[in-house]
Amino acid sequence: MSNQHDATRGAGYAAGRTAAAGARLVADVARASQDSWPDATGVVAQANALSDRLEVLAEADADVFAAALVALATPSAELERHMQRAAALPLEIAEAAADVAALALVVAERCDGLVRADAAGAAALAAGASAAAAHLVRANLTVKPDDPRLVNALRAADDARYSASRALDAGV
Amino acid sequence: MPSDEQLVARCLAGDQEAWNDLVRSYSRYVFAICSQGYRLQGADAEDAFQDVFVRVYGRLGSLRNPEALRPWIAQLTRRVCLDRIAAGKREEPSDVEPDGIESTIEQLDEAFAVREALEELPEECQEVLDRFFCRDESYRTIGEELGIPSGTIASRISRCLARLRQRLEA
Repeated sequence: MSNQHDATRGAGYAAGRTAAAGARLVADVARASQDSWPDATGVVAQANALSDRLEVLAEADADVFAAALVALATPSAELERHMQRAAALPLEIAEAAADVAALALVVAERCDGLVRADAAGAAALAAGASAAAAHLVRANLTVKPDDPRLVNALRAADDARYSASRALDAGV
Repeated sequence: MPSDEQLVARCLAGDQEAWNDLVRSYSRYVFAICSQGYRLQGADAEDAFQDVFVRVYGRLGSLRNPEALRPWIAQLTRRVCLDRIAAGKREEPSDVEPDGIESTIEQLDEAFAVREALEELPEECQEVLDRFFCRDESYRTIGEELGIPSGTIASRISRCLARLRQRLEA
């Protein structure tokens, strides 16, 4: 992997990877609670699916971000299209991260007490990732304040924050 | 949904609707073996697909165990694909299989078993599992589309997965 490639990976990539890590943590905690919680197996499957989804979104965001940087440096008729795509992926990351936080809350409320703090931590990580991704939607040059993409991204970040807050309360 | 045994019996009795059902049930499976297992593309994949069902139609009466319809169709499909690859290279038909074909077909069998088990679940379970795992929809979107509180979606999915597992293990 070249340094140049790393330099084009921005906050969207980091948010996706962070939320994916949170999802894997949710899966681990649910797996550790399977003996006492029948629904845990289904939660593991959902957490794994969210983790896979977020890893793909993170990589796609890095590619789109790199293309947008090039387009900004050499403006052309393609700039608008690149910027639109650069807003779409952080929105998807914000929403998937909110789902990780929601799932982490379910786990924090029902898992084995020994690992409850880890579930709460996963929710906090996912909420941070969702907030970061929503901010990227807001910062995009093509997104206006009343743009539905921004409305949805901010709503996802709010949902994630609420889930994390409840999970952290359950985790003490 | 009729069992494979019932489907075969009806096809052998000349029931056209049963034949249509059989083709509908197995078309994606056959096409997946042709395209993913043997990398046949475009017209080659379509021709192989047609050949398979011509052979199934002509030889269905020779199937000894109707419950083994799927492995029998898989075997016919593999033979057709090998013949088509050999024909493309102007060679004699060969039995040399592509690398990884067994695991590809194993994965396809598993995927189709899951699909069949999914079709036996209640409509609401099929819907919620398809939306989350296949269409990558968020809990909020699923909740809004189905008129269900989004906070309950994760638990619903878990319960539906448990039912799916029961079907697969039955």
